[in-house]
Amino acid sequence: MDESVMSIITRMIAVADLEARYLTIAELQTIRDFFEAGQQRLRIANILAANSQTIINTGTQRFWERCPVTPSNSGNPTYRASCIRDQGWYIRLVSYALIEGDTKVIDTVGIRGAKEMYTSLGIPLKNLVECMHCLKEAAMDLLSLDDGMVAMPYFDHIITGLTP
Amino acid sequence: MQDILSQVINHYDVIDRFLDEPAIALVTDFFQTGRLRVQVVAIINSNPVDIVRESARQLFEEIPELIQPGGNAYTTRRHSMYLRDMDYFLRYASYAILTGNSSVLDERLLAGLRDTFNSLGIPLGVTARSVQLMKERVQQKLSEAQLGNSPFVAEPFDYIIHALSERNV
Repeated sequence: MDESVMSIITRMIAVADLEARYLTIAELQTIRDFFEAGQQRLRIANILAANSQTIINTGTQRFWERCPVTPSNSGNPTYRASCIRDQGWYIRLVSYALIEGDTKVIDTVGIRGAKEMYTSLGIPLKNLVECMHCLKEAAMDLLSLDDGMVAMPYFDHIITGLTP
Repeated sequence: MQDILSQVINHYDVIDRFLDEPAIALVTDFFQTGRLRVQVVAIINSNPVDIVRESARQLFEEIPELIQPGGNAYTTRRHSMYLRDMDYFLRYASYAILTGNSSVLDERLLAGLRDTFNSLGIPLGVTARSVQLMKERVQQKLSEAQLGNSPFVAEPFDYIIHALSERNV
């Protein structure tokens, strides 16, 4: 794993190590805050994991209502299955990112090169983004307001990253 | 360098799975011990010189040949190198308590260390003993501060000791 995809903890250690020093009080406080918020983020990640099928089903229905003319709704079973599979991947990435408290895993696995990939597969990016909006809304429906506020930026990160 | 969260997630990403029960238990434990981990490291960071000095004193008391003429820590320069190296081990142990795994030790401390020490003629057994003494000193400080003795405190020290110890070939 390269330096650019470190967690908040390992990033601070890398800087301190470069200067051959122990972590400062301020750095330790940041790490403590990260740990404290981590328990809530883990709980939300677990809710998303446990309900991923529901979120995907609701999201897919909503997506087809808004974008009826799209490869996944064309009757082609491969496109349909791929659409559902990819939504599952993105939910999984959001659950990982919540646990790490960082969007790096979304970037490295699901954003870099994604636009080129979907374009080459003949998937209109505009529709893909709409699909991610529906996925986000389906997840928000399921979460409490507080939990939703924590999870929302990770979905928005995907949407921003895939927007043409 | 990875912390335990990245390590778990990389593993599950490759097999295309949400975290399962054992992984969730691991991560939960990491978050729940987080505050304590930070407190432990704060104790170490506020007393590194003391921890090293006391442990070194004890080491040279146990193995007085080290600082006698011809000993491996003889001459002020070599003596100070012992202190410097001990501080080095303590610092990496303090990092590893926060990452919850051995990644930072493997990549930044232990890679090539045995060969380096061997080529410099520094006895590995003595070095391992110095790490053990620092571990005990840290544990004592934690008891004094009423922070108990969680298993994650000993882990990085024991990992270093194990890596320094001679293996059966």
